[in-house]
Amino acid sequence: MKSLLLSIIKKEFFHILRDPQTLLIIIIMPIAMIFLYGYAITLEMRNIPTIVSDLSKTPESRLFVKKLVSSNFFEVELNHIDESSIDKVFRRREAKCIIVIPKDYSTGIVDSPVTYLQVIIDASDPNGAKLISNYVNNIVNQSNLEMNLGNSAPFTIQPRFLYNPDLKSANYFVPGLVAVILLLISALLTSLAIVREKEKGTMEQVLVSPINPIQIIIGKLIPYLILGFIDGLIILFAGVFWFNVPVNGSLLLLLLMMLLYIFNGLSLGLLISTIAQTQQLAMMMALMGTMLPTFLLSGFMFPIESMPILFQWLSKIIPASHFVQIIRGIMLKGVGIPELISQISFLTLLSLVLIIVSIKKFRVNLDA
Amino acid sequence: MRNILYLIQKEFRQIFRLKANLVIIFVMPFIQLVILGFAITTDVKNISTMYVDMDRSQLSRKIIRTVSSGEFFTIKGSTDQTEAAVKKMDSGKIKLAIVIPQHFENNVLSGETPEIQAIVDGVDGNTAGIALGYLTQIFKQLQRNMTMAIPSAQPRHIIETQTRMLYNPNLDSVYNIVPGIMVMLLTMITVFLASINIVREKEIGTLEQLLVTPIKGRELIVGKIIPFAIMGFVMLNVGMLAAGLIFGIWMKGNLLLLYVISVLFMLSTLGVGIFISTIATNQQQAMFYAWFFSIFAILLSGFFIPIENMPPWVQIVTYLDPLKYFMDVIRGIYLKGSGVSDLVPEIISLSLYGSTMLSLAIIRFHKRMS
Repeated sequence: MKSLLLSIIKKEFFHILRDPQTLLIIIIMPIAMIFLYGYAITLEMRNIPTIVSDLSKTPESRLFVKKLVSSNFFEVELNHIDESSIDKVFRRREAKCIIVIPKDYSTGIVDSPVTYLQVIIDASDPNGAKLISNYVNNIVNQSNLEMNLGNSAPFTIQPRFLYNPDLKSANYFVPGLVAVILLLISALLTSLAIVREKEKGTMEQVLVSPINPIQIIIGKLIPYLILGFIDGLIILFAGVFWFNVPVNGSLLLLLLMMLLYIFNGLSLGLLISTIAQTQQLAMMMALMGTMLPTFLLSGFMFPIESMPILFQWLSKIIPASHFVQIIRGIMLKGVGIPELISQISFLTLLSLVLIIVSIKKFRVNLDA
Repeated sequence: MRNILYLIQKEFRQIFRLKANLVIIFVMPFIQLVILGFAITTDVKNISTMYVDMDRSQLSRKIIRTVSSGEFFTIKGSTDQTEAAVKKMDSGKIKLAIVIPQHFENNVLSGETPEIQAIVDGVDGNTAGIALGYLTQIFKQLQRNMTMAIPSAQPRHIIETQTRMLYNPNLDSVYNIVPGIMVMLLTMITVFLASINIVREKEIGTLEQLLVTPIKGRELIVGKIIPFAIMGFVMLNVGMLAAGLIFGIWMKGNLLLLYVISVLFMLSTLGVGIFISTIATNQQQAMFYAWFFSIFAILLSGFFIPIENMPPWVQIVTYLDPLKYFMDVIRGIYLKGSGVSDLVPEIISLSLYGSTMLSLAIIRFHKRMS
């Protein structure tokens, strides 16, 4: 019994080692991904190309422009823009934001209670547009505060950011990335494991031997579990030591959870492998079944609360969304099993279901 | 020329023989549009909020009422202790806690400027910042109404912004996503299918059979490229139709211009596809390479993350990405109605990129074959 299982594991290991090009991709891809994604994903905007049309040309208006410049959010170009050329500026992407300081700006500040400032934003990128509008408003609020020192506000707000006080993007994205990369890699790894042998006909040879389906499935899983775990360790290492994301909770728990999660992804891939008839189909299924949902519905980049209710439900059955909460919880919040019990039990349950279904499916295929 | 036609015919027969291919061309655009269009909202709303009202006064209740009206905040209950709220945040049940201290109303009336504490889950920095922004706006409005009601010795001067959002006044994320999906679809078809298709023929050995026929290598390549370009083209149109039908987003600019530029774009991605087929020895490798390429090319195209946000060295890398240019083009034509004169640099870059990439790939393919 034992030695049979061992020989399947050995065989699968040899198969992996025989194709060094694939092995190299499997190791290098996650590393490249965590570095490039870790750096490129920042939702804070800097150097927003901005044209300021200063019709007032007074010390007051120049003071406002100076405030814009010193905020570092805007790359200001002073230029006169009339109404008809606004469209052209945006179409040529010469600026994302145009601020028009009206002619009566400085007289307005002295004489009337309210002075208006025109802000025109290229909203073809809506998220960026919202941020730009926020930045402008912050600067305007600051100016208003300085102009009305005598009239203090009735109360103030004191913000306190928990878990990530500097609001570092990396702290948010790196744990999420670990979740995304691990699922993609592990599902892709096993999605071909059985269908490949089906295509080549070697599966029939295995079938005539006295090995039972459970042993085949487990034997195929273990080598990839080790490979996936190595991948996981590498990217976790990069996240902690390169991007300085803290591990506030228990490292042991984190590693255990990672193992559970990789097992989950591998079982998903195995299931695909037992269903698909050709390698090409298996790959497409693995890509479609894992890439889109994990990227979009895991909460790794886009907040789940803002999605339509149907998608919020969908996100609940995706393993990545649970692991994202687990890894963020352990790394950033420093929480343990009690806080994460529902996510952990879901992942365990899902793994069991997936593996049982793939063994069943595999058996049916055998009889047919 | 005749040979090329035969090859194209053969390729299409193979494509249509597999039902899955038809599904990919005609159904995938719809599925992707629906999933991406609805799921990707960078809008922040329904923030789970808890309040800790230690004052229990008229004013504190008024503040909570104001916060909970509107779609930004969803009140998930109240408690008397800050620690209880933080515990809830630990387990991920809430994202924001508003703490109103004791004697708040009395202190406001006596002019002592008390503090309201906003405890924000900072894990998602972007959402945290936006949530705090909303809260600040609501409070500013409240404060304004309160101070305006009290007569003051000093005159007040306030600058107000009149903001105009061009091209997408309601700030719907869909507008940004739809052109992006077109780029993704074209990339998938041309890079994935083309590379896997060629590698498969290599694996089965039918490519060698073709090589011993009087068909020239050049003809073989053209015969491989054209069917996938046509498939991509059909998919683009299906995608545009789907975007119009599902989201009511129709193109503003010139259709012909978009067609011409998408052909230029496909030159470079087909080049990548063929290039991959020359380095991969089996289908699994081809898929990994294709996947590797797309996952980076999509990131660097500015689909989800504006390129301006990225650090300078990453911005330089994006110039190597053909998807970046096409993304600018298709967003411009689709949303802003940009014309040829607005897109000159992108058109030049895409033509250069496409012709170099494709010729390099073809040269390599020839070397490999002979």
